[in-house]
Amino acid sequence: MRDPAGEIGWVVTVGQPTLEPLSPGVTRVLEDEKDKEEKSPLVMEAIHLDEKPPSNAENSFKKHESNKKGALTDIEKLYQAVPQLANVFRIKGKIGEGTFSSVYLAIGHLRGGREEKVALKHLIPTSHPVRIAAELQCLIIAGGQDNVMGVKYCFRKNDHVVIVMPYLEHESFSDILDSLSFEEVRNYMFNLLRALKRIHHFGIVHRDVKPSNFLYNRQLQQYALVDFGLAQGTPETKVELLKIIPSETQQRSSAYHKSPLTMGSQVTSPTSRQLVHQSATKTANKRLSSISQTQIKQGHKRKEDPDCHCVQRSVFGEKNFNVRSSAFQGRSTVKQPRIMDIPVRKLSVKKKATSVVNNGLGKKAASSTQAHLTCDCYAKDSVCTICLSRRQQVAPRAGTPGFRAPEVLTKCPNQTTAIDMWSAGIIFLSLLSGRYPFYKASDDLTALAQIMTIRGSRETIQAAKTFGKSILCSKEIPAQDLKKLCERLRGKTTNFDNSAGDVQMHPSQEFPLTVGIGNVSDSAFHASKKHIQYQKQSTHEDGGKEKKTLQKSSDPKGWDRVPNSAYDLLDKLLDLSPATRMTAKEALLHPFFRNVKQ
Amino acid sequence: GSADQKVKSKLKNPFLKVEDRRCRYRPFYLQLSSFPVVNYSNPRPCSPFDVEKKNAHGQKHIHNKQRNPTNSDREKRPNQVPPKHKRRKGYCECCMKKYEDLHAHIESEQHQKFAKSSQYQVVDDIISKFSCDFLELRENTPNVKRRKCNV
Ligand SMILES: [Zn+2]
Repeated sequence: MRDPAGEIGWVVTVGQPTLEPLSPGVTRVLEDEKDKEEKSPLVMEAIHLDEKPPSNAENSFKKHESNKKGALTDIEKLYQAVPQLANVFRIKGKIGEGTFSSVYLAIGHLRGGREEKVALKHLIPTSHPVRIAAELQCLIIAGGQDNVMGVKYCFRKNDHVVIVMPYLEHESFSDILDSLSFEEVRNYMFNLLRALKRIHHFGIVHRDVKPSNFLYNRQLQQYALVDFGLAQGTPETKVELLKIIPSETQQRSSAYHKSPLTMGSQVTSPTSRQLVHQSATKTANKRLSSISQTQIKQGHKRKEDPDCHCVQRSVFGEKNFNVRSSAFQGRSTVKQPRIMDIPVRKLSVKKKATSVVNNGLGKKAASSTQAHLTCDCYAKDSVCTICLSRRQQVAPRAGTPGFRAPEVLTKCPNQTTAIDMWSAGIIFLSLLSGRYPFYKASDDLTALAQIMTIRGSRETIQAAKTFGKSILCSKEIPAQDLKKLCERLRGKTTNFDNSAGDVQMHPSQEFPLTVGIGNVSDSAFHASKKHIQYQKQSTHEDGGKEKKTLQKSSDPKGWDRVPNSAYDLLDKLLDLSPATRMTAKEALLHPFFRNVKQ
Repeated sequence: GSADQKVKSKLKNPFLKVEDRRCRYRPFYLQLSSFPVVNYSNPRPCSPFDVEKKNAHGQKHIHNKQRNPTNSDREKRPNQVPPKHKRRKGYCECCMKKYEDLHAHIESEQHQKFAKSSQYQVVDDIISKFSCDFLELRENTPNVKRRKCNV
């Protein structure tokens, strides 16, 4: 499976739960989902996409026809939901589908009569109006420049909102990863960082930076960062509406999907997590509602210390989601009795799936006075009923596991634009190593374990201290040299003129490089064959440069001449500590980008 | 009190445990059957953390693709989307309510009331500032005459 993140276009907002790589414990539930998917009307959809776009008359005829058959295609449903669309656009087909939106390709006519392709993003009708408005505001304020997607128009009918954006035809990252030249990679990163510099300048944390949200047209050398559906504001954000989207709401992804699943041998109960998130979302939405009703601009700054959530009422006067005080419990029981069930897990650590047991103890132990009780499990390889009955920390974690920064994975409540820089580093890691997705994890701690495998356990633990987290790892894993790692993973076509001793063998890992080195002629042949293919594709672009490269280098794509500055930049983007991680602005000035053509 | 009933449990290796340094929150942890290892022998562009059976890589890959045609389909046609994944369950931010069936929920009285409410003023305020570059097709006379859209 090459692309769990989904290259289906560009609104794959949160890691699509039904497509994510599955840990063994969750497989059954999700496979049921897949079975259902496979039965969906593939054929109908395909035919529809190939059809001539319907005119209004055709469209209503078709509606009639399919109504008779009892099934409407997605396009027809969209025309029905937002009838104004039919007056302006011919919708050609669906080009993307994520958890919170679907994207369609459509054609409209500009004033001069010229046709223009647009992308229509249809938001899920359960989105809160303030969230919708915040996404629009991001596009308006930051978009349309420096590789950030802009917006042309927006349609609404009731709860259906469709955002009209310029269409950029784009590559699938996994399809082109193998054929990119080193120079293309440099340009790609430069342009990604330009987009991030721009949104960070406006105080927008994107939260879901990954290849499918960074459109890339190789031929035109055009780029666009898309999808602000999960964006959050920094305390200084210039996008006013982001200030009134409490970050808790961003967890709608977890509230949606992670709920009924048990994550392998993780004892933390997903059910309880879901309930906490659910109540968090509720509270957050109360804020949203009250604000959108009154339209008051609040100078509310989200408090970073989560303690203030549990003792005080928030400035909006609602109860706090993170409390398990008996008062709150009593009040909530009327409406939502389940939310206040405090699940105390039976400590069945040897079992794969864990059972949730409500023994009453948890309720007592979790009352606000006892929530701070300490036990002797801290930084030790044990857990007990005391520490497990504490309330769960709620921190934003929307996004895709493999792209989440360590501070996101460890639920650090104070998250900054640095989390996007980490994600950019992960993309860079994919580009340099030729591996995508690089990390493959269905849950946060597996992702963290994989990060530790690359960046070192000691280093990760040390960095986590700087953001208030203690990580205990049963195994010490050394940090990898990024250059050696990437070159080995790329399975260099090159190293034949470099010293082979450059690559350090790790005794514990099997390393098939010997095979590669043994067959130098084979790999050289392979490389030249690939190069011919690539030249065919790209005669128009970079012709001159390619020739130059050919003369200087044995690898036409320049992969034998990756400067050390590349790995230095990678190291600074994958800084485990968010406080020292390189910013987009700094990264653009990094020596790696010297002489990059803009 | 709860201390009497305290049950302690040792984590089984290998594990990863994360906790707040001020001990205010529940620790969370992961026990694995084995710690992840960078697998250099996974074929490009596969993740080095792809867990494939060592002996039967290729076979397993093929097997996976056969089992999951939607995914391989997507790889071939990146610009089009395979049939809809019916995600019916979810949470409505408008109604602050969990639902089992998206369409049923959207058509529910509560949601419809919200959908037609003034809550969307915040969106309309933004929309009112847009100007539309596109021409409106006249009803039932497409491609003949167009006027500026006014929706
Ligand atoms: Zn609703």
